[in-house]
Amino acid sequence: MSIRFKTLAELKRLLEKKEISSYELVNETFKNISSSKTNSFITLDEEAALNKAKDFDEGKVDGDLAGIPIAQKDLFCTKNLRTTCGSKILENFIPPYDATVVDNLSSAGSICVGKTNMDEFAMGSSNETSYYGTVRNPWDLERVPGGSSGGSAAAVSEGLVCAATGTDTGGSIRQPAALCGITGIKPTYGRASRWGMIAFASSLDQAGAFARNAEDCALLLNHICSHDLKDSTSISDVQENYLDNINNDLKGKKIGIIKEFDISSLNKEVQDSFEKSKKIFEALGANFVEVSMPNIKLSVPTYYVVAPAECSSNLSRFDGVKYGYRAKDVDNLEELYVKSRSEGFGDEVKRRILIGTYVLSAGFYDAYYKKAQQSRRMIKNDFVDAFSEVDVIMSPSSPSSAFKIGSKTEDPIEMYLEDLFTISSNLAGVPAMSIPHGFSGGLPIGLQLIGNYLEESKILNFAHQYQKNSDWHFKTPDLGESS
Amino acid sequence: MDNKTVETISYLARLKLDKDKKEKITKDLENIIDFVAELQDLNTEDIVPLSNPLEKVAPKREDIVTSKSRKEAFLSSSPESDQDYFMVPKVVE
Repeated sequence: MSIRFKTLAELKRLLEKKEISSYELVNETFKNISSSKTNSFITLDEEAALNKAKDFDEGKVDGDLAGIPIAQKDLFCTKNLRTTCGSKILENFIPPYDATVVDNLSSAGSICVGKTNMDEFAMGSSNETSYYGTVRNPWDLERVPGGSSGGSAAAVSEGLVCAATGTDTGGSIRQPAALCGITGIKPTYGRASRWGMIAFASSLDQAGAFARNAEDCALLLNHICSHDLKDSTSISDVQENYLDNINNDLKGKKIGIIKEFDISSLNKEVQDSFEKSKKIFEALGANFVEVSMPNIKLSVPTYYVVAPAECSSNLSRFDGVKYGYRAKDVDNLEELYVKSRSEGFGDEVKRRILIGTYVLSAGFYDAYYKKAQQSRRMIKNDFVDAFSEVDVIMSPSSPSSAFKIGSKTEDPIEMYLEDLFTISSNLAGVPAMSIPHGFSGGLPIGLQLIGNYLEESKILNFAHQYQKNSDWHFKTPDLGESS
Repeated sequence: MDNKTVETISYLARLKLDKDKKEKITKDLENIIDFVAELQDLNTEDIVPLSNPLEKVAPKREDIVTSKSRKEAFLSSSPESDQDYFMVPKVVE
C-alpha cells in the first residue's frame, strides 16, 4: 500500500483498522526519504523511529497521534538527536533535552523520523541560507520551497511525512506552505511553548504545524500548543480543542480585505485565484468587508529592525565555549569568540547580527529600535481595530509562486519582500495560516487567513470549510522517477 | 554606513568579515538601513513602544529549586571541558 500523500487522519484510520502496522509505515517513510531529491532532511533517526513503531505495534503506546511518523524542524531541540538549526556552528550539537513541542508530540504517541532542513537560524525565505544545502521544491526541483521551514514544507508536500513542525518568525510557516501547496498554521504568539526552540527573535518566534489540510493542522495544534511554565511568555488561558468548531457554519461571518494590500499589483493568476476564493467563501454565506490598516505598510521595515535587534542579542550565546563549533588555532579568549563566530555563521546570519548591533548601538537606538517598537504598536492597533469589525482577515500568503533557486540571493531586500503579507501577524502576535488555493505558472500559491488573538479555531474553521468546497489541497506534485 | 562603522559594529558583534566579502556586506547593510529609514519620518508622538505582543508581566513562582543538577550532560556538549569547568584559552598570565 502506498502511504505517500495520505493525510494524518487517513493514516490514523489505517493504523486503527490494523490495515497497516506502524513499523511498515515508518519503514516505508525512510524508503521514500532515501529516494527523495529535495534535500528536506538534515538528520534522520531511523533506528529509534523503528523501535518506537515496534512498541506501538506491540500495544505499548497510545495517544492521539500514536504510531504516526512526523518530522521536526531542526530548530527544535531533540534529546540525544543532533540539532543544527541549519548552521555550521551547531553541526555537532546534541541537545541534552527535548523542546516542549517535541515532548508534547511524542507524548501524543507520534514518531519523529528526523530533523528537517531550514534556513540558517530560520533567517531566510528560500531555504538557501542552510549550511546543509538548499532544499528543492517538489513541484519543480529548480525552485525554492520557501523558508525558513522549507524542509518541513517540502517533506509534507512530497508526501514523505503527513505532518511536520515549523516555526514562524515573519512567515516561515505560511510562505513555504504556500510555495509547496500545503496547509500551515502559526498560532497566537505564546500559545505554543518556545522552550527548547533555538531563539531567533524571541518576541516574534512561534511554533506551528504543516499538514495536507486544515483538519490535520487542528489535530496537530491540539498537541503542539500548551501552557508551559518553562516559557515566561506562554499563555495560560484555557486551550480549546481545535477540532471542535471546525464544522461551524460561515453564514453571516465577516472576512476583512486589507485596503492597503494592493492585490492589483500582483500577477493575474494570483489575482484570479484570490477572486475565486472570495466567491467560495461568499457561496458559504460569508460577507466581505474592506478594512483599512494604514500602518501595515510599515511591517517589513519594522520587522527588519526588531528581528535583527533580537537576533543579535540571542545569537551572542554562540561563542565556541559551552556548545557548538569552536575554531582551532587561537591565541586567546577574544580570538576564540571572534574566530568561532566568524567561521561558524553564514553570510545572512552575519548580516542580521550586524544590522541588529547597529540599530541597538548608542546613538542609533532611538532612531531605529525605539521607533520600530512604536510602529509595531501602531501595526498591532490596526489589527485590534480591524478585528472589532471582522471575524478573519484574508490576503494572499506570498506575492508570487516559488522562484528559481539563486534568483534572489544577491539582493537581501528583494528576498525580505517575500514576507510582505505575512510579517504583520508576527509583529502583532495574532494567529495566521496558509492554505493552497490555486496555481501560478504551474506552481502552487497560498491564501492567508489571519485571526484575532487566540482565535485559531476560527481560522481553522474557515480553512476547513474552504477545503470542503475546493480541491486545491488534494493536488500533489508529479515526482517522476523519484516516487 | 562606511567602512569605519562596519568595523565598529563587527567588533561589537565579535565578527570578522572576510576581505573579499566586506565590500558586498557593507553595501547590503547600507541598503537595508536605507530601507528601514522610512520609519524615521513616522509621527510616533505619544506612542508607547511595544516590545512584546502580549504585554504580559512575567509570571511569578515560589522560589523553590525545580531542576536537578545536570552538570555532566551540559559539560559534555562543550567542545572542551574537564570534570567541573568549560575550558578556554588562558586569560591570566
